[in-house]
Amino acid sequence: MSEDRPATGPRQRIERLGAAALDGLAATGQLAGMLGATWRGVVRGRRPPGEVANQMFVVGNKSLLFVAVTLGFIGMVMVYQSCLQLERITGDLSRIGPEFLKLLVQDFGPTITALMLATRVGAGIAAEIGSMVVTEQVDALRMSGVTPIDYLIAPRFIACVVMGAVLTVFGVAIAYLAGGLTAWSSFDLNPRLFFDPSRVGFLDLCLGLTKTLCYGMAIPVISGACGLRARGGSEGVGAATTAAVIGSSLAVIALDLVISGVGLLLVGHGR
Amino acid sequence: MSAGAAPPRTIRFDDVWKSFGDKAVLCGMSLEIRPGEVMCIIGTSGVGKSVAIKLLIGLLRADRGEIRWGDLRLDSMSEPEMIPVRKRIGMVFQNATLFDSLSLAENVALPLRVHKGMRMREALAEARTRLDQVGMAEFAGRRPAELSDGMRKRAAIARTLTLDPEVVLFDEPTTGLDPVSARRIDRLIAKLSDDVGVTSIVVSHDLTTIFTIADRIAFLYQGRVHVCGTPAELRSSVDPVVQQFITGQSSGEMETPGF
Repeated sequence: MSEDRPATGPRQRIERLGAAALDGLAATGQLAGMLGATWRGVVRGRRPPGEVANQMFVVGNKSLLFVAVTLGFIGMVMVYQSCLQLERITGDLSRIGPEFLKLLVQDFGPTITALMLATRVGAGIAAEIGSMVVTEQVDALRMSGVTPIDYLIAPRFIACVVMGAVLTVFGVAIAYLAGGLTAWSSFDLNPRLFFDPSRVGFLDLCLGLTKTLCYGMAIPVISGACGLRARGGSEGVGAATTAAVIGSSLAVIALDLVISGVGLLLVGHGR
Repeated sequence: MSAGAAPPRTIRFDDVWKSFGDKAVLCGMSLEIRPGEVMCIIGTSGVGKSVAIKLLIGLLRADRGEIRWGDLRLDSMSEPEMIPVRKRIGMVFQNATLFDSLSLAENVALPLRVHKGMRMREALAEARTRLDQVGMAEFAGRRPAELSDGMRKRAAIARTLTLDPEVVLFDEPTTGLDPVSARRIDRLIAKLSDDVGVTSIVVSHDLTTIFTIADRIAFLYQGRVHVCGTPAELRSSVDPVVQQFITGQSSGEMETPGF
């Protein structure tokens, strides 16, 4: 083997893996630092008057139709497919509604809603803040004595946490309703059997709420961090927006895995 | 160290280096700016003029070297330590950088509310007075998007002056403006120095502006101050690079990256 050929031995591969792991750890550390700074910003309350309400409108009201359509269709498809399979295997559809609601509350409702927010709201946050960075508006904020995290990230953080929860409740209701209508119209399932909340317990609600709050915190922090790191012109803003959507979506999936794992340990498999 | 009320202070760049990735921008820049003077920094695009003033105010960090303002060492200050300094050193950005979601008065009031802790009503009243000083009082309620570039720039100057800074940094203050608006901005900068004794550092390509307002001019070339002197000294300089820049000749000894 020639000496000047790039080394590709096992040691080099391990080194590359190690370097990637260290980069990942550093990025996680930076995000943790930013989450801490955002919490401090929330507590300090130095933000423009009315900005939280404005951001709640952007995050909540403007996502309403998007979330309703997505969760509605997912509810219909999931219930239809589940009924189809169950009818072939056991023919008993009586437990489909309660189990579907449990799944929605514990997992699907918060996670699908958060994935929708990661694409719509996360992209918007990164694009807006990234544009402010490349046009020096963030520098102008710093010159005015304003901490950009307090002014830009904190209001979006509050809005995402609060409206993320509201949208999740709304999305779960739409998906459940759409599923019930599908079961009734396609499989003649009695709505009284479908709309039965008996399988949803307090711990299920806690698990769903925990996920909703964690997603609501992760999306604005990751998207804001991507926006604040934007460099150059429109290309930099585009790259920041893409990174925000990918980062926020991956964070939602990873948090889902971790919180579900912890939830399974606490709640158990059998419930 | 405090950045509060203090006698006029000299600004010193001492062997300052700054790179972005593998691109070296400033390579040992040294410059002294006296209190109350209008110092213009000129040079070709990408030579590091804007970088130099951003290093001074801590918006960028120098790789090496010292930047001092009187006794204060600015290059090693943390972000929180820079906040009181930014009350005393203001900056007018190239693109005016007013916040689109706020009216002109709210834009100008922002530093008063944050730095001085003024209530909104007081800050807005003060903002209107400041806007009046730059002839913009009648537009106080307008949003930046409704105004011309020149008007936005004047409002940005008003925002910078609200804190009565000792030093004002102007990044390309007349770029993109019509000649009449540009000369109005020139008059404003000169007036600040003459009437209030503000130290101004002006980064510009506009030679009319520079030769009108400058007390001294620093010509930045290849990451260093190549020549520094009065407008008359620069005009009479026999340095071929300086002459090529001033006369705007496309051919000569000057090396311009990308051409």
